[in-house]
Amino acid sequence: MTSDLQPLQRRAAVLRRPDLRRLGRPAGYLVLAVLAWLLPYGLGGYDMHVLDTALVFAILAIGQGLVMGIAGQINLAQVAFMGVGAYTTAILTTQEHMAFWPAAVLAVAAAALMGLLIGLPALRVQSHYLGIVTLGLSLAFLNWVTNAPLAGSGSGLSGIPVPPLGGVDLTNDYLYYYVELLAFVAALAFGLFVVRTRLGRRMRAMRDDSLAAGSLGARIPVLRMTAFLLAGVYGGVAGVLYAGLIRFVAPETFSITEMFLLLAMVVIGGRQSLWGCVVGALALSAVQEELTDLSTYAQLGYGAVVVLMVVFAPTGLAGVPHRLRTALQRRAPGPESATVGPFRPYPPAEPRPDAGTLLQLDAITMRFKGLVALSEVSLQVRAGEIRGVVGPNGSGKTTLFNIISGLYRASAGTVALQGRQIGGMRPYRLAHLGLARTFQNLRLFRRLTVREHLLAALDRSPTRWAWRYVLWPVGVWRGERDLGRQADALLDRFGLAAFAGAIPYALPYGIQRRVELARAMAGSPQLLLLDEPAAGLNGTEKAQLVEIVKSIRDSGTTVVIIEHDMGLVMSLCEQVTVLAAGRVIAHGSPAQVAADPQVIEAYLGRAAADRAGQEQPVTTPSEEPS
Amino acid sequence: MQVFLQTLVGGLSLGAVYALVALGFALVYRTMGLVNFAHADVLMVGAYVASTFTMTEHLPFAAAAAAAIVVTALIGLVIERMLRPLEGKDFDLMLIGTIGFGIVLEALATLVWGATGRAVPSPVQTAPLHLLGASIPSYDLVVTAVALVAMVALSLFLERTRRGVAMQAVAMDYDAATAVGINVGRSNAIAFAIGAGLAALAGALVGPLLYVSPTMGGSIGIDGFAAAILGGFGSIPGAVVGGVVIGLISSFSAGHFHGYSDLVTFTVFAVLVMIRPTGLFGERTVVRA
Repeated sequence: MTSDLQPLQRRAAVLRRPDLRRLGRPAGYLVLAVLAWLLPYGLGGYDMHVLDTALVFAILAIGQGLVMGIAGQINLAQVAFMGVGAYTTAILTTQEHMAFWPAAVLAVAAAALMGLLIGLPALRVQSHYLGIVTLGLSLAFLNWVTNAPLAGSGSGLSGIPVPPLGGVDLTNDYLYYYVELLAFVAALAFGLFVVRTRLGRRMRAMRDDSLAAGSLGARIPVLRMTAFLLAGVYGGVAGVLYAGLIRFVAPETFSITEMFLLLAMVVIGGRQSLWGCVVGALALSAVQEELTDLSTYAQLGYGAVVVLMVVFAPTGLAGVPHRLRTALQRRAPGPESATVGPFRPYPPAEPRPDAGTLLQLDAITMRFKGLVALSEVSLQVRAGEIRGVVGPNGSGKTTLFNIISGLYRASAGTVALQGRQIGGMRPYRLAHLGLARTFQNLRLFRRLTVREHLLAALDRSPTRWAWRYVLWPVGVWRGERDLGRQADALLDRFGLAAFAGAIPYALPYGIQRRVELARAMAGSPQLLLLDEPAAGLNGTEKAQLVEIVKSIRDSGTTVVIIEHDMGLVMSLCEQVTVLAAGRVIAHGSPAQVAADPQVIEAYLGRAAADRAGQEQPVTTPSEEPS
Repeated sequence: MQVFLQTLVGGLSLGAVYALVALGFALVYRTMGLVNFAHADVLMVGAYVASTFTMTEHLPFAAAAAAAIVVTALIGLVIERMLRPLEGKDFDLMLIGTIGFGIVLEALATLVWGATGRAVPSPVQTAPLHLLGASIPSYDLVVTAVALVAMVALSLFLERTRRGVAMQAVAMDYDAATAVGINVGRSNAIAFAIGAGLAALAGALVGPLLYVSPTMGGSIGIDGFAAAILGGFGSIPGAVVGGVVIGLISSFSAGHFHGYSDLVTFTVFAVLVMIRPTGLFGERTVVRA
């Protein structure tokens, strides 16, 4: 037992150590800024030009990192977004004789619009489907620029004017570098700001489990479009800078080969870290330039590195320090113990004697093709109740939860929460109406820390809130501090403070269950649905669970619980509803239900039910036959 | 009418090739849940190997195609073996991994055969058939016939042989298949090898129709992929129908929109996917919470 706990203890010890990196961080930024500022002094004219091009790709890579690494959308049109930015600048300045900067603004807007358009399929398809659709659409874009006379019919557009900037001569690659550097720093800073605050956190939650993120109040379709919008804007900025730097655009620059090169940059650097994306872009641009005479070998090389990276270092270069640290920690001894702390009960709410019906289901029927999973199920849950829902496997319990929480739309029947019809509402809306749930097989976010889980769940802001990122970033920052305080209080209440920085999947199962419960309670729901919360818990943990659920109810939250452990149901629930083969077969107090012959038959078969009918008292089905 | 028929004929033979490409995608997807982005580049290698054997070694077309199938099947085995640690874990990473393999194959082909590409003479020299005023090149008939035979053979293999059924079992439930004693790794490797072989066959067939170059995989691959998605990913008859539909769309859009045919084809494809993401024959799956 103690040996099992040792890695955990070490991790906890590391987490408590004052974060020295935090002190070093501003100093590190300062050094980087000075280096970036002084860099041109040590470079020749040609190298300067190479660096300018590399910076364009670095900005593009940040956009790709945001959409793919952070939001988990396989976007293979990022280079096309850059193409839209560059071509719009070129067309507006050379064909329409517009001045450079107004054209640049329109170009970024056009790229953003293209981001939204190409992102549209993401509302319907994900993963590899999305990859191929975005790839196809970027081929469509290439097809247009190689044929349209407006875009130079494949021979490209030359004669883009030099961007005017006061008296500064931007034909000079050295001076252009500083313009790019400012844009790059702004792009990176904004990207990091997004990633580390609520918008980025929601995106990462969506990437890891869109279903769970949705049931916590994240509006998935809007989030996906926001990710593509960001990608489009970054692509547009990169395209404008490219047009201003090279002052010539041609289709080859935005080809699929370049897209795969960008993908290699992001994967090698580390797609989930914006810094990694930047490092990947700069490094691969440098290598590409070194091997310019051997470009095929370079291609062979980066292709091979991509394959090796995904197999052996999926987090890319950015993940190397972390992997080294964990490797070192494994050797270092860890002294302190870290078990899950005690739960601090909620302050009980004023008892409300007149509490009415909170949840009402009327004649819910759910059909999957030919299979009827639920048939005419009606259910009433009073506010302040702890309701048990039991039944053999396949009796439709989880389907019922999925209908209440908005994952499924019932084939027939109505669901009302506090008298309000909620049937067919999306999960994120239900979350905002005060509904929370846990999942049978723990849908935790794979790459979020325990604290981030709670922060993501505490964040109840509507998605339109994202405008503040552009108009009032200070407000975002302040909101973040508030969220942090609430998260710390919640961590403390659920005894999880020692694991705040840990990734839940690395923790023992019981703690993971506790994290999921804390996450569901973060929104202070009116109604909490618990889907087999005791599965996989040991005796002590089950006792703790009973205590926690009772306190949750006393705080004013109504609880509906699916559970197979009959002892737990008996000690916890005032009312129990029994489902079998999609129908409600019994309802009443735990003792009444356990004595019901129909229930016994459903669990143990007809013979058992007959016997139970003869000999009183009845045997209680303590565990469901599996 | 004549133009219409001519376009139809061209679309059908192109569709047969797309169907073969789609079958390869579908087979690998059905057994591993993975979309192989290197598939198009495997096709390109197949086209090169086959055309090299016919043009420089003067082997008969069938023998050259067989050689190409063997070579690419080996490549398929290598890809599967390299990516095996990721199987069943992270599909996005595997997807990126296959893109990496695609980059490698394209670079290798450029190193071996040069970047310029080659025109491959048609292996069938008989005069075209005439039907209702449309002329049907005899090679198109060969392409369609070979594609049909390959499809039937694949369906028979999957439905009637122990190995084929085992492969389908793996696709349906990885863990359950392991539990009943199916060697999942070997099953996946075979699926990958057959998928690559199908790509090589498509490559060998398409060589004389199009121009063989290291970058030829790009649009054929995406068209074949579009065919697979349109048919409902993983469905064998769906892949065939999807291939023919995409072949017809690109053939007709080439006739009507000339240079902009890719633009039209891919936009139509994107819209179709949005309207019906599961394709024509795909099963709607229910998200389990």
